[in-house]
Amino acid sequence: MQNLSLLSPALALSGLAVLALLADMLVPPSRARNLYHFGWASAAGTLAWLVAGLADPASRGAGSLWVVDAYAQFFGMTILLALVLCLLMGLDYKALPERHAGTFTALMLLASSGLMILVSATDLLLIFVALELVSLSSFVLVGFERGNPKSNEGAMKYFLFGAFSSAIMVYGISLYYGAAGTTHLIRGAAAPGPMLMLGLILILLGFGFKASLAPMHFWVPDAYEGAPTPVTTFLSVAPKIATFALLVRVFVSVLPAAQFDLQALVVLMALTTMTIGNFTAFFQNDAKRLLAYSSIAQAGYLLIGLAAGTGRGVEAVMMYSFVYLAMNVGAFAVVQAVGQEAGSYDLSSFDGLAQRSLGLALAMTFCLLSLAGIPPLAGFMGKLYIFSSAVETGHWWLAAAGLVNSVASAYFYFRIAHRMFFRAPREGAAPVVAGPYIYGAVAVAVVGVLLFGVHPEPLIAGVRASAGLP
Amino acid sequence: MIEYAWLIPLIPVAASLIILFGAKEDPHSPLPWIGIGAIAVCLALSAAILWGFVSGGVALPYEKNWDWFSLATTIGGQSFVWTVPVGVLIDPPAAVLLFVVSLVSLMVQVYSISYMHDDTRFKRFFAFVSFFTAAMLGLVVSSNILVGFMCWELMGLTSYLLIGFWFERPGPCEAQKKAFMTTKLGDSGLYLALLLLYAKTGTFQLTQLHQHFALGLVAPAAATVAAFGILLGAMGKSAQAPLMVWLPDAMEGPTPGSALIHAATMVAAGILVVSKLYFVFLAAPLAMETAAWLGLITAFMAAAMALVSHDIKRVLAFSTVSQLGFMMCALGCGGFTAGLFHLTTHAFFKALLFLGAGSVIHAVHTNDMRQMGGLSRRMLLTFATMTVAVLAISGIWPFAGFYSKDMILVAAWNHEKAIFWPLLFTALMTAFYMTRLLTLTFLGDDRDHERFHHAHESPALITVPLLVLAFFSLTAGMAIAHDGLAARLFPKPALTAAAPAVAAAPATTATPPAVGAAPAANTSEVQTPEAEQELPDWLKFGIPAFFVPGAMLLAFFMYRGPKFEAAESIRNTFAPITTLLDRRWYLDDAFLALVAFCDQVAALAFWIDANIVDRVFVDGWGLLMRILAEISNFFDGAFVDATVDGVGGLSNDLGVGLRSLVADGQVQEYMMYAAIAFSLAATLILTR
Repeated sequence: MQNLSLLSPALALSGLAVLALLADMLVPPSRARNLYHFGWASAAGTLAWLVAGLADPASRGAGSLWVVDAYAQFFGMTILLALVLCLLMGLDYKALPERHAGTFTALMLLASSGLMILVSATDLLLIFVALELVSLSSFVLVGFERGNPKSNEGAMKYFLFGAFSSAIMVYGISLYYGAAGTTHLIRGAAAPGPMLMLGLILILLGFGFKASLAPMHFWVPDAYEGAPTPVTTFLSVAPKIATFALLVRVFVSVLPAAQFDLQALVVLMALTTMTIGNFTAFFQNDAKRLLAYSSIAQAGYLLIGLAAGTGRGVEAVMMYSFVYLAMNVGAFAVVQAVGQEAGSYDLSSFDGLAQRSLGLALAMTFCLLSLAGIPPLAGFMGKLYIFSSAVETGHWWLAAAGLVNSVASAYFYFRIAHRMFFRAPREGAAPVVAGPYIYGAVAVAVVGVLLFGVHPEPLIAGVRASAGLP
Repeated sequence: MIEYAWLIPLIPVAASLIILFGAKEDPHSPLPWIGIGAIAVCLALSAAILWGFVSGGVALPYEKNWDWFSLATTIGGQSFVWTVPVGVLIDPPAAVLLFVVSLVSLMVQVYSISYMHDDTRFKRFFAFVSFFTAAMLGLVVSSNILVGFMCWELMGLTSYLLIGFWFERPGPCEAQKKAFMTTKLGDSGLYLALLLLYAKTGTFQLTQLHQHFALGLVAPAAATVAAFGILLGAMGKSAQAPLMVWLPDAMEGPTPGSALIHAATMVAAGILVVSKLYFVFLAAPLAMETAAWLGLITAFMAAAMALVSHDIKRVLAFSTVSQLGFMMCALGCGGFTAGLFHLTTHAFFKALLFLGAGSVIHAVHTNDMRQMGGLSRRMLLTFATMTVAVLAISGIWPFAGFYSKDMILVAAWNHEKAIFWPLLFTALMTAFYMTRLLTLTFLGDDRDHERFHHAHESPALITVPLLVLAFFSLTAGMAIAHDGLAARLFPKPALTAAAPAVAAAPATTATPPAVGAAPAANTSEVQTPEAEQELPDWLKFGIPAFFVPGAMLLAFFMYRGPKFEAAESIRNTFAPITTLLDRRWYLDDAFLALVAFCDQVAALAFWIDANIVDRVFVDGWGLLMRILAEISNFFDGAFVDATVDGVGGLSNDLGVGLRSLVADGQVQEYMMYAAIAFSLAATLILTR
């Protein structure tokens, strides 16, 4: 247990989670809302702590099962930022029971703590434990609206699938152990062989579950549709980004995919993930399901960076993750506001939004255009990075497929935009009035989407400074 | 003046934002005048730059860059961090196009004040037009092709808004989707090409790219692939076959918007990008040849469709496609000067034709030319200006189109005779269908007395732009062809010129070239004298003097009467061909089939997801778990419970027995402790 102190932000977050749980029993229901404030404040505090510690070289180093480097810190900050934004959204989410505010906050904090450990982990055991921490918290979070049958269904499917993929992954880990003699990723001098290959593939599938990569994406639409929207947002962003951080650490730096002939598999997964995500989204009439498929497709784009496997590929994954955080949180926040007002997440609730609430409609448009990769928004810059890394390494067809996919994706993103601007609002539809916290989250996201599209240099510099892997 | 060139695209952007968010929608809103003022400033700036160059006061090309962001790259195994700058590059063609784009946009906006005044979204139209113009101007001035691509995409987005401006109707909705998706498909080719160029050279700067090509640092194979990608982008935006399906439908937008799209912005962008990256094509002869043939095929197919269409705007749309084909063909034949020259003159007369058609539609409230006729008696100014435009596009001396089309034909003649003859035939078709349009609309008898009776000349806000454009349609060709100015304005880039900044070429040194310090490649300054042959005399004088007027007279006599029986009988005789043309070569159907196929794929994916995955996989997994649970339950009941019961019973018996042995005591308890210890030990041993 050397250098446990390196993980102190993550550990502090779990401590705060336990505190929130305890407070849940003590705080009277009328004051329970304060626990949400406690939640985002502690996340923001941890984020500030992490940022303040960046300058200090002592905040980085290697422990026995973990390593905290600039790369891990970058993703730690990304996860915490997502957590803050999602907890802010939770404050304006009316379907959450006030009584369980502490539990909700604690689970969100615990999941994030697990994710922060995950991005630092260098041992498969720690990875597994961290992933389980995330999974178990998120199973409960998805089913948090107990009165809503969809929420229950989503949680059940998510749980069953999670159990399945955990089993697969554990099996993979055991095979890895058999081949390498240790579960440690860096110290294990694993000789390539069928057993190791099988182990790595199973581990990749296990990661794919969290990152919603095909063929492990099946739980996504149901879980996203049923989960409370802040949780959906969180799930679509934080675990996905953290898992990608881990994928890159494992398959680019520690066990180069090229060395193990896994690149073809990664390319194939990227292709299928993009295509399934985009093409299935065509027929979705529920905004949350549509964005669920869109987030699957976005994971496919991220996987292109992994397939490239070069320095620029790693940078591309980091950059696109951050940009993805902004645009996805923005889109989901508007969906939450609109869906709450209309009482349903059907696409028709977006009809004439521009006439009802121009600000929200514009914000949504920016986020959607960015997701589709239209310049000059951040998504364009991110895709530029991703696709250029693929072209650079000669993955021609992958880049071409990615481009064709983004053309196709423009179609369904425009469906929402079209409804907002070119359809008359339904009879008696009122202007959407979202709470201040929603507006806050939307504003942060849209500023990010616009700023990093027009002036990406700060983000690129930050990414480049953190991209060095051990 | 040229130091302020970077302002040119930004002024209309600012104007469009002010118009969009400045005030509530109001049919008498003064806000559109902001857009007009903004574009007038741009026009003044561009005119100053162009005049400065022509009179020798300003040296072009002019380049200025600012740092934007950095991108890591690996070339030859070494990693660099390149700064990608944003900047302006004004070469002579850009100077001309700046002038053309801002002039056409200004005219379109002035015209629209009157044309759009009844519309409920009066203000919004001007915001879109300003933004659209800004995107085009951005593409023209940008020194960085990536920024150019961003403007290109923004133009696609704005065209979506303009084409679908009347989104309450189903037609525009479909048309906007079609235009956006078709051009976006082409865009992906351009994007890939740019990424490839970046991967090979590490720069998006046009001048640096040119240097790389001039020094022969890019492999021919890569150049060919890149050139085809660029060509695909141009096919989408400039509506070349087979991606031309979107342009005729784009007519659904307001007519002034169509004029802008067709004359100076959207469709010109494809040709413009090909000309900006012309050095890539020079390094890829195969792509050049493809461009030439593609242009020819497009020109012919579109002209043939224009022959049979009755919708005045549609004829003009087909004619745009056809003229773009001419330009593409010229570029492909190596006639760089000719292609861009035609782009310039075409902008004037095509804008004029559309605005004139708008004036007519405004007067008679129909697009169908069969219901017009004799309108020259009611709308003299419109008729006169349209006549100028028709003469210009047909190529009658001394109108603008004569000079540019002549140059294109010369380029084709020098390149390949097999291209020249069909191209000449297509030029005659152009003269034919444009005269047909003019005759059906303005000459002959009034076929629909009701409409004729209500028709009247449009107000000055509409006719003044027509007159201005007519002036340029008349003079632009003469002015540019005069004294070799065309070769100065549109100098053909070359690959052989010495590149001055050899030391800064990235493949040879590890230091990135100082951005903006490297002077413009200047290769375009040197005009390589090629053995340009003139056309034979009988063609040189015969085309403008006999062939073209002949085609025009033929059209005039065929369509002069009230019923044009001759034309109808020809139409009926060749029914299969006319049907083919009416159905637009079945290209639309082919694309619809493609879309339907994609739909099917998507539906299949959805079905698999909903039925197989959800039912079989997820529910099946649940079922499997339940079966396992049942088995385990049975096992539990049959064996484990029985064993436990058995053990319980045994211990009970034992206890009873032992109790009989030992009078009192807690033997069960002891036994239990022992059992636990045993289990622990057994577990430890077995799992060691």
